[in-house]
Amino acid sequence: MSSTWVLYRKEMLEMARSYKLIWIPVVFIILGIMQPLTIYYLPEILKASGDVPPGLLEGYEIPHAAVVMAQALGQYGTIGMLVLVLGSMNTLAGERYSGTMELILVRPVSPAAIVIAKWTAQLTLLVVALGLGAAGAAYYTEQLIGSVPWGDAIAASGVYGLWLLCVVSATLLFSAFLRPPVAAFLALALMAGLSLGLSLLPTWFDWTPAGLSGLSAGILTAGEGFRAGPYLSASVLIIICLVGAALLTRKNNFPD
Amino acid sequence: MSLLQVTNLRKSYGAHISVHDISFDIEKGRCVALLGPNGAGKTTTLRMLAGLLEPTSGMISFEGSRPGAEYRRGLGYVPQSPAFYGWMTGQEYVVFAAKLSGMGAKEATSSALESLIRVGLKDDARRKIGGYSGGMKQRLGLAQALVHRPRLLLLDEPVSALDPIGRREVMELLREIREETTVVFSTHVLHDAEEICDDIILMNHGRIAEQGSLSQLRSQYSLPVIRLRTEKHKEAIQWLESLASKPFVLDSELFGDHAVFNVHDVEKARQTILQEAAQLEIPLLQFEAGSSTLEDLFMKVVGV
Repeated sequence: MSSTWVLYRKEMLEMARSYKLIWIPVVFIILGIMQPLTIYYLPEILKASGDVPPGLLEGYEIPHAAVVMAQALGQYGTIGMLVLVLGSMNTLAGERYSGTMELILVRPVSPAAIVIAKWTAQLTLLVVALGLGAAGAAYYTEQLIGSVPWGDAIAASGVYGLWLLCVVSATLLFSAFLRPPVAAFLALALMAGLSLGLSLLPTWFDWTPAGLSGLSAGILTAGEGFRAGPYLSASVLIIICLVGAALLTRKNNFPD
Repeated sequence: MSLLQVTNLRKSYGAHISVHDISFDIEKGRCVALLGPNGAGKTTTLRMLAGLLEPTSGMISFEGSRPGAEYRRGLGYVPQSPAFYGWMTGQEYVVFAAKLSGMGAKEATSSALESLIRVGLKDDARRKIGGYSGGMKQRLGLAQALVHRPRLLLLDEPVSALDPIGRREVMELLREIREETTVVFSTHVLHDAEEICDDIILMNHGRIAEQGSLSQLRSQYSLPVIRLRTEKHKEAIQWLESLASKPFVLDSELFGDHAVFNVHDVEKARQTILQEAAQLEIPLLQFEAGSSTLEDLFMKVVGV
């Protein structure tokens, strides 16, 4: 049996036993359905909060379903990303510091197999969480606001997922040689830096993976067209993270 | 033919050399103790043998294979304090370990059960490892190291952290295991090594101070010894110093009023010393004639 498959199954079992496979998708579903719900009930919410100047709500128009869907995906850029990073910061670092990695590495297993198994497990979690979250968002949008272009919604979720995968991959790389909280902080700082750079200097940063969130929204709202830069840079980033994590796992010295 | 050949193995961290060009052979079927005080480089050596640390220089050859070849399939390793996944059961972990060593699902399951029975964890196999005691974890460590039937078992301080009962259990297990496979284990307790080992490699400060079979070392180092203690008189101390140059004294150690002489003829030495002491009216406090043991060798090498 291939060691990558054995390790992947162990990762998935761990995610199931630690309920990560449940609570992270639940967070994503809640985040996803919040957007169509708040948009639809915004007038009610405002009225309930009291003093609304007359005439304010008359001009309120519920946006188009595709726009709501794009906004729902945008919700994953902050809390969703934080949850994913916090959930994956322990993957390599935890095993290194507890010593469980030592017992795996004495077996005929390559560091690459360990890293790929862990990355694939994180990818599985991401697909499940984002898939369920986006489906929840699309369902409520469809029910409350109007018909959602399903093909576009799936494509947009996929593009957004690639952006989130970059974050998870960076966390994996940092957790190969740093303590878990430091790894999480650096991964988040890197992605926040890219996003900030993109909003301040769009022409300089539009080729970075941060451009993927704009492209994802563009698919739904016909805003931005297709650009290859972000896809390429995201793929390169992910490969660099995986190779780096494998090399660092090989070289890594164990604590006594 | 030797199972493992180590040649000029060295590990340095910057300027600090923790293992200094050591060479040794391990014969098939032997039980070898890597003996030495804390910080002697035992763990570093074992980690290099297990492939967990890259040697700075030197060669490790397993069963005459080309140095650097993949030999981890034939290796079982238990670190000083083995760490497991607390959320797994003992059985799940051993099956997982067997699969990682390349066993198929069926073979892994049966082999895991076998080694769990072997280490006496059958009744606890379905419990979560998180609830295991230190001794149980050590035994689980042995189970996961034995599950793929390794040809060489490396154990790092297998009994140091255990209470007397746990220690007894693990030593009994090792006594059984050594009948079937080659075992190398590190320890800082001479007694553990004497109890079950054939060969001893004595390490200190990253070097091999002495190596050989236990019986050979015993006969080599069981020299007749005479221990003397006198009152703290100037004449008496001078007399002790003069004894050091007697023809029957091979080696002497003087600690002021206290002296240890290795002699080659204990009869003659005893006679001469006692006669002289009576003649010169030396105020003797203590006189002891006997054999030095491995304990003395250990202490001498370790320099306590």
